[in-house]
Amino acid sequence: MREIRALIVDDSSVMRKIVERSLRQAGVESLVVLEAGSGVEGLEVLKAKAVDLILSDINMPAMDGLEFVRQLRSQRLAEGVPVVMITTESSEEHVKQAIEAGAMGYIRKPFTADQVKQKVLSLLPAA
Amino acid sequence: MALTLRDSSHLVSDPENLTVSVLEVFETMIGVVCETAPQEVSKKSAIEIESVTAVVGFGGILSGACVITCDESSARQIASCMTGMFFEALDDVVKDAIGEICNMVAGAWKSRVPELAANCGLSVPAVITGRDYNLHMQSPEFEVLQVYKFDQARFKVAIVCDELL
Repeated sequence: MREIRALIVDDSSVMRKIVERSLRQAGVESLVVLEAGSGVEGLEVLKAKAVDLILSDINMPAMDGLEFVRQLRSQRLAEGVPVVMITTESSEEHVKQAIEAGAMGYIRKPFTADQVKQKVLSLLPAA
Repeated sequence: MALTLRDSSHLVSDPENLTVSVLEVFETMIGVVCETAPQEVSKKSAIEIESVTAVVGFGGILSGACVITCDESSARQIASCMTGMFFEALDDVVKDAIGEICNMVAGAWKSRVPELAANCGLSVPAVITGRDYNLHMQSPEFEVLQVYKFDQARFKVAIVCDELL
């Protein structure tokens, strides 16, 4: 697999590490991880750096994950880059809101590395 | 017609729903199998025990909170299993880990009640540490409480709620 630059947005540093570990366990070995602790930080990262994949929590202080995705889409940041929401919120309504905001995938916490693998591989273009 | 929880009160108050949620979170995210444990009265006083309490609030159709409480040693053990790191002290990473566990348990629990899944929001986790403190919840109508253990770790999980509408 080619090198993947992934931005992980979560206010929990522990969850960011777990998502990174899941990506590596999923076979994304050539992985460069960028981290952000909020939607605001995530937008700043995207203004400075290109990424191939964005994984974001929803429930965060300052700017939640849905607003983060809306903002990056409206500001035309990371155009065409798949965004996957990783969150405890799992109702159809929440999934619908995420898709309407601009997310392309949804993973419910708690999750397995295999679930991350399936979702990521389905969204990344083949090498 | 306003949405109510009356028809789902048996799901909200069912301890098995809480246990299934806790086991799912710990097995999937931490890789350990928990089991329920009896509530034991500690021989140490609250002043002697350094403890950690994580709280995630419910808002919307249900007003209340999911609360996880454990001693320092158990908190460090949970964080170690979750991150693969060793912790000598109750540092910010340990607190973060317990807060996230509480967040996932709260989310998993509410997803088992159809009316709550879409109509009940979660707060970001708050984590309290120290000795000899009380967590005051305003007039909770009822509480579902269970103690769990794995290896040497023990922790208490409670769902406290106001009156079901």
